[in-house]
Amino acid sequence: MIETTTGAEAARGSYDAVVVGAGWAGSLIAEKLGRRGWRVLVLEAGEAGTQTWSGYLDSVRTFHSAVAKVPNSAYRHNAAAPSPDVLDLSPDASGSGEGRPEYTADGYFVQKGKMPYGTDYVRALGGAGMHWLGAVPRMHPDDFTTRSTYGYGRDWPIDAADLEPYYEEAEKELGVAGDAEGQRHLGVVSDSGYLYPMHRIPPSHIDKYCHEKLEGREVTDPMGDKRELHVRSLPQARNSTPAPEYDKRKGYRPKGAVGLPNYGERCVGNASCVPICPVQAKSTPLRVQDGFSDSVTLAARSVATRVLRGQDRRVRAVEYRSYNDPASPTSESHTVRADIVVLAAHAIENARLLLASELATTSGQVGRNLMDHPTTLAWALAADQVGPYRGPGHTSGVEDFRFGGKRRERAPFRIELSNWGWTWSTGAPMSNVASALALGGKSDGGVKTGGVFGPQLRSLLGSTIGRQLQLQIAVEQSADENNRVTIDPRRYRDAMGNPRPIIHYDLGEHVREGVYAAYEVSERIFTELGATSYTDHEPVDGVPPLGHFVHRGTDLTYHGAGHGAGTHIMGTDPNDSVVDADQRTHDHPNLYAVGCGSMPSVGTSNPTLTMCALALRSAERIHRDLAALSQPTNLRSRANAEEKV
Amino acid sequence: MINANEVHDAGFKVPRTIQELRTYLQAALEVEHLTIPVYMTGMYTIRPGTNSTAYYTIRSVLLEEMLHMTMAANLLNAVGGEPEVAHPEFIGKYPAQLPMSSTALAPIGLRHFSREALNTFLAIEKPRAFHTDEKDGAGWTSIGQFYDTVGQGIRALVEEQGEHEVFTGSRGKQVGPGDFYNSGGEVFHVTGLDTALTALEMISEQGEGVHDSIWDSDDQLFGEERQLAHYFRFNEIAEGRCYSPNDAPQRPPSGPMLDVTWEDTYPIKGDSTVAEYGKYQHGRAVHRKAVAFNETYATLLSCLETAFRGAPQTMAMAVPIMLELRDLAQQLYRNPHPNPAHAKDGYFASATFEISTSQMEQAKQRVADHVAAVGLEAGQPVDLSRDTVGSNG
Repeated sequence: MIETTTGAEAARGSYDAVVVGAGWAGSLIAEKLGRRGWRVLVLEAGEAGTQTWSGYLDSVRTFHSAVAKVPNSAYRHNAAAPSPDVLDLSPDASGSGEGRPEYTADGYFVQKGKMPYGTDYVRALGGAGMHWLGAVPRMHPDDFTTRSTYGYGRDWPIDAADLEPYYEEAEKELGVAGDAEGQRHLGVVSDSGYLYPMHRIPPSHIDKYCHEKLEGREVTDPMGDKRELHVRSLPQARNSTPAPEYDKRKGYRPKGAVGLPNYGERCVGNASCVPICPVQAKSTPLRVQDGFSDSVTLAARSVATRVLRGQDRRVRAVEYRSYNDPASPTSESHTVRADIVVLAAHAIENARLLLASELATTSGQVGRNLMDHPTTLAWALAADQVGPYRGPGHTSGVEDFRFGGKRRERAPFRIELSNWGWTWSTGAPMSNVASALALGGKSDGGVKTGGVFGPQLRSLLGSTIGRQLQLQIAVEQSADENNRVTIDPRRYRDAMGNPRPIIHYDLGEHVREGVYAAYEVSERIFTELGATSYTDHEPVDGVPPLGHFVHRGTDLTYHGAGHGAGTHIMGTDPNDSVVDADQRTHDHPNLYAVGCGSMPSVGTSNPTLTMCALALRSAERIHRDLAALSQPTNLRSRANAEEKV
Repeated sequence: MINANEVHDAGFKVPRTIQELRTYLQAALEVEHLTIPVYMTGMYTIRPGTNSTAYYTIRSVLLEEMLHMTMAANLLNAVGGEPEVAHPEFIGKYPAQLPMSSTALAPIGLRHFSREALNTFLAIEKPRAFHTDEKDGAGWTSIGQFYDTVGQGIRALVEEQGEHEVFTGSRGKQVGPGDFYNSGGEVFHVTGLDTALTALEMISEQGEGVHDSIWDSDDQLFGEERQLAHYFRFNEIAEGRCYSPNDAPQRPPSGPMLDVTWEDTYPIKGDSTVAEYGKYQHGRAVHRKAVAFNETYATLLSCLETAFRGAPQTMAMAVPIMLELRDLAQQLYRNPHPNPAHAKDGYFASATFEISTSQMEQAKQRVADHVAAVGLEAGQPVDLSRDTVGSNG
């Protein structure tokens, strides 16, 4: 059972460590420290509630009744701790052709970049770990050294081998179902005997259809990179059948739903992983919180506002505001002291907090190098029925353009085979229904005619929806100082009075080349599949679609992937990085900033697993720090030593 | 039921031979199953989106009855028996007299979610300690007593003949945790006296609680979260109030109120039959769904039989069948009863759980075809897609 308390109550306690944020990274660190007996306070800005089954069902219902099924649609608006939402962005025709941005932004983010930053997160118990898909591929060894190997981006101060044991630990904590053999072929798993805790999620019909038609075929990208295609299973943090041989034949017991005993121990294909798995077969940070020891205090509705400096270079306390009514920004301020402070509030929130606290300023890199996986979509109709809208969002991918020497010229990309038809690209299947019914008006104000009904409607929908294929192609974005988060507290504050993140975002040439290559490759894949491409990134009636740009004369678009990263990247040099390899700030020996914000590069892997591995690694370091801090100082022996001198 | 009534009619007796023990364990399988249509009906008649606490409570007990049924099959397999499930007589005729229980107990019928249904549920799960009116030697009094005799029988047989002579079944027939999931407690292999007694303990204590408490033994046996035993889970709903952790079993719950809205239900006639539905021209669609439900239920039973007879990995195929049952139930229960007189009184259509010999034979063939198409292998990843692709083109 997960117990939460209020911010006011939490302020009465005393703690060894204060963790800001109850998502994956914060929860894992709190759990590890708590298990070692440290007194930990976890401050969650958003609402709790999903830790009880009735609260979780409430979120499921909120999603069911939402008009737009976006990632945040299972959560209500929170005026005290607002979240960015993908619906905050709109295309804007007025600026096109004049060099002005082709979008407008409302909501929590202040967007000032040339291009929209389309990534959201949710400030609620569990954070974005509640609405994520659960895709957990590891990064490839090459992804850690793009600067030295391929001449772009930034290198990590650690390598894949350093992370490997923590990857394994994270895969156990998250509960990963996967095919280790396939991942070994890719070179991302090196241990020849390694098994994932659970067997892979069965491939979908679409996976098999694509496998049959693509396996072993060759496709060349516009830069001349010729690749043999393979359809590979995606490792997922989702319950499947446990592998009896896992962990030296100890096996694995799937962790089910939190708040309802013996539920959610297998994925049954509800196909709403994003935003919410109705049975909790998808892993969430709630599972980790459920294992918190009694020495961990979890306070919801507690918005960290600053980390306060102490003597020397150390920080001494966290200042936060607690509220009672999420509809109102009314709040009261508290301060809680701690030996160690861990910021685990998401890349953008961590940057916002560091900036508001005026901490870790030496490198000038806080907030800079904001990244994402700009994701371009391609959609087509297959010649046959392929059975979309079943199972998790995607269960297989084509990984072949993630690696290789052409990375010098264009960003690499990972191709996801969507199991959810054209949902992301066109709003299908509802958009298919609307157009078949001829809903809506004509551009001249007239009423549309020609809708079909009854059996005709059913057969029309069946014949098109059942053939929908979609590729979601996530392109690596490398660190660029100009992509950044800033704050301007005098001009931009949220309702509670905290500075809102100001985003400057653009796609560099290397990324644009990657998006372009991805588009071209998608067209060639559709040809191999014998499918008819409907991919279209061109402006409609003069209005460019969101994320539109023209590259090499081709209209292209990208979406945010929800993979916010960068902003406090790690490195060895305090002058050009914010944290060290343990995610400890160079400037402050007892201040950690953890999460995707620490990543100098993101490769083409969904970043949660790497973030969790880093968090587990940092948890060990934080434990050692706390142990060192609590060593008794032996005054007498020092006095004796002085006498002898 | 195949054996249960016979065992009941023969009167209270500890099984003395392996053959008797097998008969008893087959009866156990039937008794555990007898509750499943009863609880399913209670659950399916809750109007969707209402009474969510009650819904998940009934569901949790239902799942544990499935676990008990599986453990009874493991026990029977362990002593070299052959579980019989895909048999038209396997399902009891409702209302049914609960075997191995006091004859004073009212017959168990299919009832919609209601106070009366909860009373039935409570009667089924009633702890032995509550049967104060029954003296020892008075014959069968409760399911708990029945399992006690099974335990005594196993102990005596092991003492007499040795463990190896009693537990002669093939290990390959045991359903293990990789095959069965989403249930309180855990399915485990029964391979000898110790595991057999643990299985019996689990079955009894999930139902009626650890001696003189409201809790089951899942926390002790499996390190799981402590849960109320079935009787007390149901009593919370009946009383509209939760237990407090220290409540005594004999006292009503003293914890916070629990919201139960008895009117949010589809009232049904528990003795409805598909033949009756078929009599009405306007009831055709309901009739079709009710038949489809029964056929799907038959498929579930033959799937279970396949799993219990040497191919435990077939359990995986039961999952989509159960989801299909849920969907069929949602389509069925919201229709007015085809009989206009019942419809006028506010009754709705319901699943009848009737299976004919020919339906059962067809179901067996269907399952055999599915099994052949899917080709599940023990210990290998579960992938049922060959099945769906094969049948739908």
